[in-house]
Amino acid sequence: MNAIAERFAHAGVGSIFLYTHEAHPGEYYPHLTSFEQKLRHARDLRDKLGVTRPILVDALDGACHRAYGSMPNMIWIMTNAGVPVYKADWTDANSVQNALEYFVAVPGRRRAGERLAPFHVERMDLRNQDREAFYKGLERNGPKAVREFRAAFG
Amino acid sequence: MEYNYDSFVPEKFMPWLNFGNSPALGQPAPDFPLWDLEDRETRLSAIWSAHTYTVVEFGSFT
Repeated sequence: MNAIAERFAHAGVGSIFLYTHEAHPGEYYPHLTSFEQKLRHARDLRDKLGVTRPILVDALDGACHRAYGSMPNMIWIMTNAGVPVYKADWTDANSVQNALEYFVAVPGRRRAGERLAPFHVERMDLRNQDREAFYKGLERNGPKAVREFRAAFG
Repeated sequence: MEYNYDSFVPEKFMPWLNFGNSPALGQPAPDFPLWDLEDRETRLSAIWSAHTYTVVEFGSFT
Protein backbone atom coordinates (compact mmCIF):
# COMPACT_ATOMS: atom_id res chain seq x y z
CA MET A 1 0.00 0.00 0.00
CA ASN A 2 2.98 2.32 0.50
CA ALA A 3 3.80 2.06 -3.20
CA ILE A 4 0.24 2.87 -4.21
CA ALA A 5 0.25 5.90 -1.93
CA GLU A 6 3.39 7.18 -3.66
CA ARG A 7 2.08 6.38 -7.11
CA PHE A 8 -1.15 8.36 -6.68
CA ALA A 9 0.12 11.23 -4.55
CA HIS A 10 0.69 13.37 -7.65
CA ALA A 11 -2.97 12.92 -8.59
CA GLY A 12 -4.31 14.54 -5.44
CA VAL A 13 -4.70 11.32 -3.48
CA GLY A 14 -3.71 11.32 0.19
CA SER A 15 -3.15 8.12 2.14
CA ILE A 16 -3.10 7.39 5.86
CA PHE A 17 -2.90 4.35 8.11
CA LEU A 18 -5.38 4.54 10.99
CA TYR A 19 -4.20 2.59 14.04
CA THR A 20 -6.98 0.59 15.70
CA HIS A 21 -6.51 -2.20 18.25
CA GLU A 22 -4.43 -5.36 18.41
CA ALA A 23 -6.33 -7.89 16.34
CA HIS A 24 -4.02 -10.76 17.39
CA PRO A 25 -2.53 -9.84 20.75
CA GLY A 26 0.47 -11.84 21.88
CA GLU A 27 3.22 -11.84 24.47
CA TYR A 28 5.27 -9.23 22.57
CA TYR A 29 2.35 -7.03 21.55
CA PRO A 30 -0.37 -7.55 24.14
CA HIS A 31 -3.84 -6.02 24.09
CA LEU A 32 -3.96 -2.27 24.64
CA THR A 33 -4.52 -0.89 28.12
CA SER A 34 -3.33 2.72 27.68
CA PHE A 35 -3.08 5.35 24.98
CA GLU A 36 0.68 5.62 25.55
CA GLN A 37 1.01 1.91 24.75
CA LYS A 38 -1.10 2.42 21.63
CA LEU A 39 1.26 5.17 20.46
CA ARG A 40 4.26 2.88 21.06
CA HIS A 41 2.76 0.08 19.01
CA ALA A 42 1.87 2.55 16.25
CA ARG A 43 5.46 3.81 16.16
CA ASP A 44 6.65 0.22 15.81
CA LEU A 45 4.38 -0.13 12.81
CA ARG A 46 6.39 2.67 11.23
CA ASP A 47 9.82 1.67 12.52
CA LYS A 48 9.67 -2.14 12.33
CA LEU A 49 7.12 -2.84 9.60
CA GLY A 50 8.01 0.12 7.39
CA VAL A 51 4.69 1.87 6.96
CA THR A 52 5.68 5.14 5.29
CA ARG A 53 2.22 6.70 5.07
CA PRO A 54 1.21 9.04 7.90
CA ILE A 55 -0.04 6.95 10.81
CA LEU A 56 -2.89 8.39 12.84
CA VAL A 57 -4.07 6.77 16.04
CA ASP A 58 -7.68 6.27 17.02
CA ALA A 59 -8.88 6.83 20.59
CA LEU A 60 -8.17 3.99 23.01
CA ASP A 61 -11.82 2.93 22.90
CA GLY A 62 -11.73 2.71 19.09
CA ALA A 63 -14.50 5.27 18.54
CA CYS A 64 -13.63 5.83 14.88
CA HIS A 65 -12.82 2.19 14.12
CA ARG A 66 -16.09 1.00 15.67
CA ALA A 67 -18.15 3.59 13.78
CA TYR A 68 -16.71 2.34 10.48
CA GLY A 69 -17.36 -1.34 11.17
CA SER A 70 -14.38 -2.56 13.23
CA MET A 71 -12.91 -4.81 10.56
CA PRO A 72 -9.23 -5.53 11.33
CA ASN A 73 -7.80 -4.43 7.98
CA MET A 74 -10.53 -2.62 6.08
CA ILE A 75 -9.92 0.26 3.71
CA TRP A 76 -11.93 3.28 2.62
CA ILE A 77 -11.57 5.98 -0.02
CA MET A 78 -13.10 9.34 0.94
CA THR A 79 -13.70 12.48 -1.10
CA ASN A 80 -12.56 15.86 0.19
CA ALA A 81 -16.13 16.40 1.40
CA GLY A 82 -15.94 13.35 3.66
CA VAL A 83 -18.08 11.15 1.44
CA PRO A 84 -16.91 7.55 1.10
CA VAL A 85 -16.82 6.32 -2.50
CA TYR A 86 -15.16 2.95 -1.90
CA LYS A 87 -15.04 0.65 1.09
CA ALA A 88 -13.70 -2.86 1.42
CA ASP A 89 -13.75 -5.16 4.43
CA TRP A 90 -10.18 -6.18 3.58
CA THR A 91 -7.22 -4.28 2.15
CA ASP A 92 -6.05 -5.51 -1.22
CA ALA A 93 -3.60 -3.37 -3.16
CA ASN A 94 -4.88 -4.46 -6.57
CA SER A 95 -8.45 -3.60 -5.68
CA VAL A 96 -7.49 -0.18 -4.29
CA GLN A 97 -5.31 0.61 -7.28
CA ASN A 98 -8.13 -0.31 -9.62
CA ALA A 99 -10.53 1.98 -7.77
CA LEU A 100 -8.08 4.89 -7.66
CA GLU A 101 -7.38 4.65 -11.38
CA TYR A 102 -11.11 4.98 -11.94
CA PHE A 103 -11.60 7.92 -9.57
CA VAL A 104 -8.60 10.01 -10.61
CA ALA A 105 -9.77 9.82 -14.23
CA VAL A 106 -13.07 11.50 -13.36
CA PRO A 107 -11.89 15.15 -13.53
CA GLY A 108 -10.41 14.58 -16.97
CA ARG A 109 -13.59 12.93 -18.20
CA ARG A 110 -15.59 15.91 -16.98
CA ARG A 111 -13.20 18.33 -18.64
CA ALA A 112 -13.68 16.37 -21.84
CA GLY A 113 -17.37 17.07 -21.67
CA GLU A 114 -18.79 13.89 -20.16
CA ARG A 115 -21.81 14.47 -17.92
CA LEU A 116 -21.31 12.09 -15.00
CA ALA A 117 -23.76 11.12 -12.26
CA PRO A 118 -23.11 8.83 -9.28
CA PHE A 119 -24.52 5.32 -9.07
CA HIS A 120 -23.99 2.38 -6.75
CA VAL A 121 -22.08 -0.75 -7.70
CA GLU A 122 -21.32 -3.90 -5.74
CA ARG A 123 -18.40 -6.14 -6.63
CA MET A 124 -16.74 -9.18 -5.07
CA ASP A 125 -12.98 -8.74 -5.46
CA LEU A 126 -10.31 -11.37 -4.84
CA ARG A 127 -7.38 -10.97 -2.49
CA ASN A 128 -4.15 -12.86 -2.08
CA GLN A 129 -4.33 -15.41 0.71
CA ASP A 130 -0.84 -16.46 1.77
CA ARG A 131 -1.41 -18.39 4.98
CA GLU A 132 2.31 -19.12 5.47
CA ALA A 133 3.26 -15.44 5.32
CA PHE A 134 0.35 -14.62 7.60
CA TYR A 135 1.60 -17.04 10.26
CA LYS A 136 5.09 -15.57 10.00
CA GLY A 137 3.55 -12.19 10.72
CA LEU A 138 1.69 -13.57 13.72
CA GLU A 139 4.99 -14.82 15.16
CA ARG A 140 6.04 -11.18 15.64
CA ASN A 141 3.21 -10.81 18.13
CA GLY A 142 4.20 -13.84 20.19
CA PRO A 143 3.37 -17.58 20.34
CA LYS A 144 -0.02 -16.87 21.93
CA ALA A 145 -1.17 -15.08 18.77
CA VAL A 146 -0.20 -18.05 16.60
CA ARG A 147 -1.81 -20.54 18.95
CA GLU A 148 -5.08 -18.64 19.14
CA PHE A 149 -5.37 -18.14 15.40
CA ARG A 150 -4.73 -21.86 14.76
CA ALA A 151 -7.40 -22.72 17.29
CA ALA A 152 -9.88 -20.36 15.64
CA PHE A 153 -9.20 -21.10 11.96
CA GLY A 154 -6.73 -23.99 11.69
CA MET B 1 -17.32 -7.11 25.88
CA GLU B 2 -13.95 -5.41 25.56
CA TYR B 3 -12.91 -3.58 22.36
CA ASN B 4 -9.25 -4.09 23.30
CA TYR B 5 -9.75 -7.83 23.77
CA ASP B 6 -6.91 -9.79 25.31
CA SER B 7 -7.28 -12.99 23.29
CA PHE B 8 -8.18 -13.80 19.71
CA VAL B 9 -11.07 -16.10 20.47
CA PRO B 10 -14.36 -15.91 18.52
CA GLU B 11 -16.50 -14.85 21.47
CA LYS B 12 -14.22 -11.82 21.96
CA PHE B 13 -13.54 -10.65 18.40
CA MET B 14 -16.61 -11.71 16.42
CA PRO B 15 -19.06 -9.28 18.08
CA TRP B 16 -16.97 -6.34 16.85
CA LEU B 17 -17.05 -7.25 13.16
CA ASN B 18 -19.84 -5.01 11.96
CA PHE B 19 -18.98 -3.96 8.40
CA GLY B 20 -22.56 -4.54 7.27
CA ASN B 21 -23.70 -1.59 9.38
CA SER B 22 -20.83 0.71 8.46
CA PRO B 23 -21.46 4.16 6.91
CA ALA B 24 -23.03 4.12 3.46
CA LEU B 25 -21.22 5.08 0.29
CA GLY B 26 -22.28 8.43 -1.10
CA GLN B 27 -23.35 9.87 2.26
CA PRO B 28 -21.27 12.07 4.57
CA ALA B 29 -19.23 9.88 6.90
CA PRO B 30 -18.74 10.49 10.62
CA ASP B 31 -15.77 12.52 11.78
CA PHE B 32 -13.55 11.66 14.75
CA PRO B 33 -10.50 13.01 16.56
CA LEU B 34 -7.24 11.21 15.80
CA TRP B 35 -3.67 11.62 17.04
CA ASP B 36 -0.37 11.56 15.22
CA LEU B 37 2.65 9.64 16.51
CA GLU B 38 3.76 12.66 18.54
CA ASP B 39 0.37 12.68 20.31
CA ARG B 40 -0.84 15.82 18.53
CA GLU B 41 -4.58 15.85 18.00
CA THR B 42 -6.17 16.27 14.59
CA ARG B 43 -9.40 15.08 12.99
CA LEU B 44 -10.25 12.66 10.22
CA SER B 45 -12.00 15.56 8.45
CA ALA B 46 -8.76 17.55 8.46
CA ILE B 47 -7.17 14.66 6.55
CA TRP B 48 -9.86 14.03 4.00
CA SER B 49 -10.37 17.74 3.25
CA ALA B 50 -6.71 18.15 2.28
CA HIS B 51 -6.86 15.94 -0.82
CA THR B 52 -9.22 15.23 -3.70
CA TYR B 53 -9.38 11.65 -2.44
CA THR B 54 -7.97 10.06 0.70
CA VAL B 55 -7.25 6.37 1.21
CA VAL B 56 -7.78 5.33 4.83
CA GLU B 57 -6.41 1.91 5.75
CA PHE B 58 -7.39 0.62 9.20
CA GLY B 59 -5.16 -1.81 11.05
CA SER B 60 -2.54 -2.40 13.71
CA PHE B 61 0.85 -3.99 14.34
CA THR B 62 -0.79 -7.32 15.01
